Amino acid sequence: MSGNPGIWLAAFLTLAIYSFLYRDNPIYRFAESLLIGVSVGFLLVVAFDTTILPKALEPIAAQFKNMSANGASGIPMLIWVIIPVVLGIFMFARFVPGWAWLSRIALALYIGFGAGVSIPATMQSYILKQIEGTIRPFLAINSAWDVFSALFILVGLIAVISYFFFSKAHTGNFGRLARLGTWFLMVFFGATFGYTVMARISLLIGRLQFLLGDWLGLIS
Amino acid sequence: MNIWQRLRNLDRRVIFILMALGVGLPLLTNIGLPVRVTHDVRSVFNYIDKLNRGDVLLLSYDHDTGTLPEMVPMSTAILRHAFSKDLRIIGMALRAEGSAIGRQAFRRVGKEFGKQEGIDYVFLGYRPEITASILGMGSSIERVFPKDDRGIAVSEIPLMQAVHNYGDIAFAISISDDDTPVYWINYGNARYQLKFAPAVTAVMATTFFPFLNSGQIVGMVAGLKGAAEYERLIDHKEMASRGMDAQSIAHLVVIGFILVGNLAYFATRKGKQQ
Repeated sequence: MSGNPGIWLAAFLTLAIYSFLYRDNPIYRFAESLLIGVSVGFLLVVAFDTTILPKALEPIAAQFKNMSANGASGIPMLIWVIIPVVLGIFMFARFVPGWAWLSRIALALYIGFGAGVSIPATMQSYILKQIEGTIRPFLAINSAWDVFSALFILVGLIAVISYFFFSKAHTGNFGRLARLGTWFLMVFFGATFGYTVMARISLLIGRLQFLLGDWLGLIS
Repeated sequence: MNIWQRLRNLDRRVIFILMALGVGLPLLTNIGLPVRVTHDVRSVFNYIDKLNRGDVLLLSYDHDTGTLPEMVPMSTAILRHAFSKDLRIIGMALRAEGSAIGRQAFRRVGKEFGKQEGIDYVFLGYRPEITASILGMGSSIERVFPKDDRGIAVSEIPLMQAVHNYGDIAFAISISDDDTPVYWINYGNARYQLKFAPAVTAVMATTFFPFLNSGQIVGMVAGLKGAAEYERLIDHKEMASRGMDAQSIAHLVVIGFILVGNLAYFATRKGKQQ
């Protein structure tokens, strides 16, 4: 059994969280609150240390230093550094009712940047490359299995898209194609659910490895 | 109340106990069930294996602490492989908690191989705003990370002297528990042709299958199973390999519950109809 107080504390908190499986209790709520508090505290420190300090405070201080050494010639660089900082502060104007409109300026810039950058990239990754990925297998067919595989992907794609095409009633042959699409979707959901179960069990495995190994010393 | 009705009204805590036993007992006994290496994991392994000594591998820790049991084994296995090949490794994080986890993994595995920080590897720390960071690194890594996580200027780090942007990086892997690798694909691969692979939690695996089919990613390491496969490839079986015994038995328990649950449902429904 471990003699490390840190391990004992971690084991106590793990068991406190798992105690919820029996029923809700004050020990569980204490551990949950502690987790939230520590996470928020950590994020605040990291955000200050890796963003506010190096991206805002240090550059501004450096530009003021530069200005004191070189005079007015440093002003354009100072403005260049201050603009994004001011826009960042505008984001918090939402909390002051009379000044909330200021946040829209920063948000507009942020949304404009986001849309401008993501639309072409998404088109490239999700549309063009995926169409290419659907057609390309037909260009490298060496066996009957390759033919089946390429056709299977193509039929699956068309069937699923048909299911999400709502400008035509899902009746007749089109309805059958759309229904085929639901089968493909169900296979996807089944695979996703299977992977989710695997992931959740992995988390339990990790905790039990800690409790049985690091804490109790039952696993070598 | 017959047996089927009892099973339908089974206390959920009994299920929790059976699941805990299903996971705990295999961990204690070490059964050693076989793990088959899949094509997706082998592709990542082969790509790293074919890199030349001194090539640069970028590892981004884009996950939180909640998924450590899946993330740490795969990160450790990849780092061991890369260090054994004498690759130079750059670490970074696009999630705040990932910075602490990544830093710890780099120093632990680096020490195992006698590697020197700043020469053989460097950990740059955390940057918020995923899109801007990934895009920015395409033109200048130093502009996004002016200092490493020790506070040393990137310009003064020997490893970084010849590494300026993605053009100097041979391969990148995002160790992630969410869709951050999609950003790497959209901005790193599509825009800068960065060779990339995600190492993700099992939950996220199906999100990336279309990218495997289209060739946008080199391969994929998914979940504890992917980590166990990688451990087998580097011939260094550790916690992931041992965890897979528990994983397999737990899956049998889940399948058992599904079968018994359905049988109980149909048996009691028949009774109700009569």
